[in-house]
Amino acid sequence: MLKPHRVLIDKFNSYTDEAAAFMRRRRHQRREYVRIRHRSGSGLDLPPDGVEAAKVTAAARRLLDLR
Amino acid sequence: MAAERIHTETPGAGSQADSALRVLENLAELEPELRGAAIFSGTGPDRRLLAVTVDDDRWAEAAVELADAVIGAAVEEFDSAHVALDAGEAFVVSEAGLTLVATTGRFVLASLTGFDMRMCLRDLAGSHGPAREDS
Repeated sequence: MLKPHRVLIDKFNSYTDEAAAFMRRRRHQRREYVRIRHRSGSGLDLPPDGVEAAKVTAAARRLLDLR
Repeated sequence: MAAERIHTETPGAGSQADSALRVLENLAELEPELRGAAIFSGTGPDRRLLAVTVDDDRWAEAAVELADAVIGAAVEEFDSAHVALDAGEAFVVSEAGLTLVATTGRFVLASLTGFDMRMCLRDLAGSHGPAREDS
């Protein structure tokens, strides 16, 4: 039979493993994007290599750099 | 985010700028990841700064630049935008002739942040009436 503290350590390890895997998946899936929603309800994802997206991301990056 | 450094362009009891300041304080309480936010009335060249949480004039200028960029990129009447970058996230929401620009840390819940921003603008518009009628 496992000692009680081993059970706790194993339990804790399983949680940290899950959290680490979640963060890895999230980092991997993470992409820069610009999403615009219109008043009509339609949405638009700007092409990441487009001129408009470059302009928007440059403005957003400047804003984020200031704070 | 601490909301201790909030500035208004036209301070005065009962003014729209005072209400905008209150609204930004509320938003800062709702959004712990909020880095900075500014509210503007009007759109385009006649846009006027009502309140901003960052003590740096360049921040408000950059916020206008971002708002102009996303509004210019919209193919129909603009409603809102979400820009996700490695450094953080930026949001622009327009409602009732008011525009709220905000930046947050990464991995915030975008829909929730957008909803809170919209509610802030509705709160402000409700206390002072819309800056313009939406079609």
